[in-house]
Amino acid sequence: MSAVAFVCLTAGLLVAVVLLVRERQISSRLRRRAGTLEETARVRDEELRHLVAVRTPALVESLYGKPVAVPGPRNPSFAGTSAEQGIRAILSMFTDYAERAKERADQSAKVTLKAMMRAVQSLANEQQLAISTMQERHDDPDVLEGLMRIDHMNAQLGRRAQATAVLCGSWPGQQRSAAALVDVVRGATSRIRDYLRIDVQPQSNIAVISRVVEPVVLAVAELLDNAARHSQPNTTVEVNFRQAHNGVAIVIDDAGVAMDAEEIQRAERLLSGRDSVDINRLGDPPQVGFAVVGVLAARYGFRVSVDSSSPYGGVRAVLFLPGELLTHLDTEPAPARSEPQPRRAEQPVWTEPRPVRAERPAPALPTAPSAPTLPAPPVVPTAPPAPSAPAMPAAPGMSGQVPSPAREQRAVTANGLPKRRRVTDTGEQPAPSIEPPPSTRPPREIAAGMGAWQRGTRAGRATGSPDSEGNIAE
Amino acid sequence: MSAARRERALVRPHVVTGGRARPTRNIFDLVTLVMAARSDLNGLNPEKRRVLELCRGGALSVAEVAGHLSLPISVTKVLLSDLVDSGHIVTRVGGTDDGETSTRLLQEVLDGLRARL
Repeated sequence: MSAVAFVCLTAGLLVAVVLLVRERQISSRLRRRAGTLEETARVRDEELRHLVAVRTPALVESLYGKPVAVPGPRNPSFAGTSAEQGIRAILSMFTDYAERAKERADQSAKVTLKAMMRAVQSLANEQQLAISTMQERHDDPDVLEGLMRIDHMNAQLGRRAQATAVLCGSWPGQQRSAAALVDVVRGATSRIRDYLRIDVQPQSNIAVISRVVEPVVLAVAELLDNAARHSQPNTTVEVNFRQAHNGVAIVIDDAGVAMDAEEIQRAERLLSGRDSVDINRLGDPPQVGFAVVGVLAARYGFRVSVDSSSPYGGVRAVLFLPGELLTHLDTEPAPARSEPQPRRAEQPVWTEPRPVRAERPAPALPTAPSAPTLPAPPVVPTAPPAPSAPAMPAAPGMSGQVPSPAREQRAVTANGLPKRRRVTDTGEQPAPSIEPPPSTRPPREIAAGMGAWQRGTRAGRATGSPDSEGNIAE
Repeated sequence: MSAARRERALVRPHVVTGGRARPTRNIFDLVTLVMAARSDLNGLNPEKRRVLELCRGGALSVAEVAGHLSLPISVTKVLLSDLVDSGHIVTRVGGTDDGETSTRLLQEVLDGLRARL
């Protein structure tokens, strides 16, 4: 009996021991597990705090464009866990939304600004026209002085509006015909405040094709303005042209303060025109110069660099125009004409009193032979005065080829018709008297008042005798 | 007027004259004749060079020079008086003709204007 009891007891004990051991094992496993979980929870808490206190603010900063590195999780063991992946997903979504919102804000700001600038631009253009008209109408130094100041301010105003519009993705506007490089630079000079400090070295007959005249003017204006702004008021900004085999460089040197490496880097980034310009981030006051130049350079295919320093200690800006943006201007009509004309004028043949008047009409017929020698003819077609045309046929018989010098002179001075005069006192060259000088001079060049006079005399003659048409001195 | 005139001038008058609106001498009217007296172009701006090129062949009136340069008369006068100062051009007064011709001419002009109006 006791044996049975002993066996039972032993078995019971054994079971109990086994159970106990298992229980221990289980509980220690649970304890370990609980520890791990607790640790995980702690890490997670910590990471969450880190997220709120460090990572998100850093992300926001970087979204504002500040050069901040966005840190990862604080605890290396946390990386790669599902919680971290979740956090990453949330952050990237946040970034996405923020970027998109920023873009939309930028776009709508640009659209609004563009529309506003367009209005300002067109007003500035209109005003410029009005100023030009007044400048032509008034021959009074006091008025001119005032108009010049207004013109200068208006030009700057227009440039600002234009630059802003370009930053907003608009075109510079203003169709222009091809212009000499020097005039392009002087045009740019017209639009900056310190225009008197700009010294442009002469450069012959290279011109800029019409498509890029306005953009280059605008870009050069920004560079010149920058140069003038960052140098002493008593120094000059020098502009030189350097010809290369595949284009021309406009070199702008100022005697101001050189830029440090960081500034140069920033400038080069803007000038490359690679990144789109964020108009919300131009600073206050906004620094638009390089940004505008960069946009224009990228769009029209010229290059700008500011990385070299000027021999005068300041910054050297180089705007390189490749060959395809360049052209040659035709020889200007006036200088070309001046050659043939003297010859004609000098003719001693001009001795006959009356023919003088024939000057005008005579051209019609006689010009034919002489035409080849004149570079001027192309200009003639543009001549507005239709009246002269009818007059010419009438003149055939009375070739004015033999005018007297005295008469010539008289006609010239007396009638106040500047058109006809190119008188030289020295008669050295007995050139063919056939071509009368006046024919070669396009009427458009005559001042408006003169034109009225001329039309008056012509009409007067027309109503008189047809034979006498073209006769002035008579 | 011509297309060149309609187009807004690229180089504005204040740059052409260096900001000066007053001619250094008051000797010009529309028909004053100017002639080149020197031929060196050194140190002259493009407009002044142009004036000299124009005047090299003989006498031109102020109005004509202005027309060729597409510049207002008043601006042209500033340039011309500079050139006179520097000895590049000389002037000759226009309209010194005998009274008979000018009366005749005026009559013609008058007739012409009447005919048109």
